[in-house]
Amino acid sequence: MLCRRVAERDEAAFDLLVARYQGRAYRLAWSMVRDAEDARDLSQEAFLRVYRTAGSFRGDARFSTWFYRVLVNLCLDHRRRGWWQRLVVRDAIGEDPERGVLERQAAPVVDPGDTLGREQLMTQLWGAVDRLSPQQRAALLLHVQEEQPTSEIAAVLQCSEATVRVHLHRAVSALRKTMGQG
Amino acid sequence: MHVEKDVVAYLSGELAPAEQARVTAHLEGCEACRRAVAESRAVLVALAPGRPAPPPVDWARYQAELRAKVARRPRGWWRRPWPALAAAAVATIVLVLTLQTPDRRLTDLTALDETVLGAQLPMLQQYRMVERLDMLEDLDVIGQLDRIGSR
Repeated sequence: MLCRRVAERDEAAFDLLVARYQGRAYRLAWSMVRDAEDARDLSQEAFLRVYRTAGSFRGDARFSTWFYRVLVNLCLDHRRRGWWQRLVVRDAIGEDPERGVLERQAAPVVDPGDTLGREQLMTQLWGAVDRLSPQQRAALLLHVQEEQPTSEIAAVLQCSEATVRVHLHRAVSALRKTMGQG
Repeated sequence: MHVEKDVVAYLSGELAPAEQARVTAHLEGCEACRRAVAESRAVLVALAPGRPAPPPVDWARYQAELRAKVARRPRGWWRRPWPALAAAAVATIVLVLTLQTPDRRLTDLTALDETVLGAQLPMLQQYRMVERLDMLEDLDVIGQLDRIGSR
């Protein structure tokens, strides 16, 4: 098992683990903190913690769940320290609109005839995601972006599945309003 | 009872079969919940392909930075400059106070010795030879003399 080898300070195993998870770790951190530099630091910090505490991983949960828990907690702590809040407010009031639009560019859309309207809608939608509460946002990102089932999201956020369903319900309800206005 | 809270799990197919059937049955008769399901599906479908792409990363540099961080040993709090200075300052203050304060512990022990000797005084007064002994020399000798005398 890769994690056990990391616990034994196997550098090659650690490199392999990083290569396997670095993309989604960075993307998830970026989706939560909305700053590339911070996302890089936070995802690296998550790997660092995994490296130092790999021996404590009991293996009764999936490694990805444990890793997401470490990473999401780091992102939530980062937000509590105020940096994330500042970034969200800055984006929301449009202090740097160029950056917000560029960073939220959607993937190529299916309907080329309505590209502009679609991009505007996606910008509004992801802007609304940014304004969700940290827990709702984390639950939603893990659901739509990381494709994690409710049970895994509950394990990551260390709450019940019922609580995750409430987070997702409230998040989607807020986004439905945004789409209705769009 | 409406089923809005179960909509996301329903759309993801994560509900248990009985729950899934209950929601389906409810949707047949509830227009508000059908609308909630349709709008929620639209949100989830819109978010799925429209994931914002984060700014690109130089992964070789990322990994090199990470290796450097791993190689850097975590420093204990006692090895950081400010806590170390604070600890040194506290130790100095404690040392100075200790040196300036009279040794009460020693004084208390001396007082205890005097109390013990005081309790033995009537016995000591019975032996003239004790006068030639150092008062603090050996209470065992005196005790033995006492036992000999009491026979």
